[in-house]
This record gives sequence, structure tokens and C-alpha cells, in this order.
Amino acid sequence: MSESQAHALLRRLAAGDQKALGEFYDLYAGLANGLALRILRDTADAEDVVQEAFVQVWRQAARYDPRRGSPQAWLCTIARTRALDRLRRRVSRREDATDAPPVGTDTPQTEEAMTVRKALDGLSADQRRALELAYYEGLTQTEIARELGEPLGTIKTRIRTAMIRLREALGPEAS
Amino acid sequence: MDERLMEMAPLYALGALDGDELGDFARSLPASPELQAELAGFEAVVGRLALLHATAPSQRLRPRTLGAAGFFPAPTPAPAVRREPASRAPWLAWAAVLAAVAFGALFAWERARLVDARRQAAELKQERDTLAAEITQARLQLAAVQEQLGREVAFRELVAHRESKQALLAGLAPAPAAVARVVWNPGTREAVLLAAGLAPAPEGKVYEAWVIAGGAPVPAGTFQVDADGKAVLRLPTVEETRSVKTFAVTIEPAGGTAAPTGPMVLAGAV
Repeated sequence: MSESQAHALLRRLAAGDQKALGEFYDLYAGLANGLALRILRDTADAEDVVQEAFVQVWRQAARYDPRRGSPQAWLCTIARTRALDRLRRRVSRREDATDAPPVGTDTPQTEEAMTVRKALDGLSADQRRALELAYYEGLTQTEIARELGEPLGTIKTRIRTAMIRLREALGPEAS
Repeated sequence: MDERLMEMAPLYALGALDGDELGDFARSLPASPELQAELAGFEAVVGRLALLHATAPSQRLRPRTLGAAGFFPAPTPAPAVRREPASRAPWLAWAAVLAAVAFGALFAWERARLVDARRQAAELKQERDTLAAEITQARLQLAAVQEQLGREVAFRELVAHRESKQALLAGLAPAPAAVARVVWNPGTREAVLLAAGLAPAPEGKVYEAWVIAGGAPVPAGTFQVDADGKAVLRLPTVEETRSVKTFAVTIEPAGGTAAPTGPMVLAGAV
């Protein structure tokens, strides 16, 4: 399905078409689930996040503006935010499930995923590490600098350079 | 366009911006289509990173999710998502602007939650680290107290044992005011030395005890004295203790030596 079709689905959702939510779910549930699973490393927690994210999409679809990003980016922002929220709550309960082995797969399943993998592989190890700390662990630039014991300016430049390289390597989203 | 703000876009998209920069960026975003476009490009990158991990959830999640959504009323249709030329329907343009602001607010709200959660997590992590450090400290103190208690119990048993003997050690020329006592059990070869009136050992030196049974002196442990010039040393259980003739203490280099090299400060024949 193309991005424009995803936009169309969101317009139907915004109009209160619940069948469209099922179609949107079929399109992106794997994406949201994989992301939540990678962050939380727990199947049950990840599925809770997926449910919350899609319910939020249903409730707020009317406010979606295609000019501000793709439906996929919007859903991933919601799912990632909720997964990181849950990760924080887990820390507050003194649980440390992040030591658990990764669940799910990092093996690219689609051609587009392979492109992403290749783009990431094109980054330096330092750039990838800083990016991962922000993306999967929700650390800020200051926290990353502290974690890696490097100057804040170095970390900012490293992340910015990594993101620009990824944007160049990935090109525009498939449509 | 402010180059500094444009440079913040990739970090904002990742949710990694913090401090004053986060406030500056969030304030500037609603009024800058250029910044919004830059951000959208990086948010697309962030969204596409999720492709790496795509993993189908269990079959039961779909009905569960759709069922959960059914508890909420259908979203109110928003004309703003339709883009109409402003000249034909000016109110639609205004609605579009309002919707854009609302959607911007939605993103901002998501981000604000992320920032709050991050701050809260940092505080909780700090609290956890503090508690963990306190627990470690308490465990160390407990171990030290248990060790001390164990030593005292062992010493009391040693003193009370009917086979135990006692020897007095007199202070020699380097430490004329010093005095010491050794309590030992020839059968079990346990021995404890209690010293008093000793000055702190010179820099880089320690006191070292010796058991002399006729042959060469056998090293029996090193020690330092406390602020009152006192020390208690539990001697190792060496064979020579069974037939000890003399206990002695010398000053030796830190770490001790295998044979005495420094001045003798205490000695006592059995």
C-alpha cells in the first residue's frame, strides 16, 4: 500500500470509519509491534503499546495533517513515545528487563527494510551507538554525552551527521 | 531561516533535544513552514528505522485493539484535513490552519510527555542508584561488624581456653613505652597479639610480628596502630606456634618481609 493510500485510510478514520482502523492496523501493526518489542523486549508489554497506539490513532485521526509527516512516521512517534513511557515506569518499579535478550528480529524483512539496514551499516560505530541510545533508550543529547563520556558538542554533531546521512541514503519515502 | 534551529531538527525528531534548545525549537516550530518541512524529513527517517524490526503481533491483538477502540466514540470529522483553495472557501483555510496548529500541538504534546517521562526516569534512576549505593554501604558495614564480632568471639574463646598461654612483650630501645601481650593456644596454634604505646609506623613502613621457635623467625602478619597507639593482630596459625620460644615485633617496609630487616620494637620470651 502506498503512502497516499495510507493517507486515504486516515481520512476515513477521521470520518469515523472503524473498518478503516482494521485496515490501518493490518498495514502498520507489525511496524509498531516490532519497534515496541525492540525497546521493551517483552511481548506482552509491546502488544499493550500497540493497542494503545492504535486506539490513539483512532481517537486523534481527525487532527492528523499530512503536511507534518507520513502516517507511518506519526504512528511510530506515538508507539515509540508510549514504549519509552513504559520503559521509564519499569525503571520506577526497579525492574530491569532491558538485560533480557532482544526479542523479535533485526533481520530486514522487506526491500525497504534492507535499504534502512544498509543505510545504518553505512554509519560509523560511534554514530550508530549515539543514535541507538536516543532512539531505543530515549536518552537526550546531554544524557548520551554523559553515558559515553564525550563532550555535548561532539554528540550533537555525531547525531546530526548520522541523521543527515540516513536521510540522504534513504531518500524520499516510498509512494 | 535560523541555521541553529535547522541544525536542531534531526535531534528534535529523535526526541534527543533538551534544555533551552528544546524550548527554542518548540517555540519556533509553529511559525516556520521551512522548519516544519525540515523536521518532517527527519521524522520520516525516524519512522523508517522501525522497518528494521517489523514483527507481527499475535493474532489475538487485532480483535483486542479494535475492540478497545470501539469503547471510544468515533473521531469527529475534521474538515481541516481536506485541502481546498482558500479563495473558494476562506473558512476552510482557517480550519486548515487550526488543524495544523492542533496537529502541531499533538506532536508537541507527545514530545512534552516524552520530556516529562525522561525527567521522571532520570530522577528515579538517581534515586535507585542512591539506594543501591546505600545498600552496598550497609552490606559492607554489616560484613565489617560481623567480622569484628567473629574476631571478638574467637579472642574470648582463645583467652578462656584452658590450654591457652600468655606472654608479655616489652618495649625495646626504639619504643621504650610500648608493651604487648600475646595469647596463644599451642594445640590449635591460634594466637592474638595486643599492643599498646606504639607510635605510628614511619611513612612507608609497617609493624611486623614474628614467631621464633628456635629456627629462623617466621613472619606472623603486619599491622598499623590506631590513633591511641594500640593494635590487635590475629596471628596466622603457623606450626612454629606449638613450640614458640619468643614473640617479637619489628618495623619493616610496607607489605612486610619474609625475614626481619628493621629495628625490633617489642620482644618477649615464653
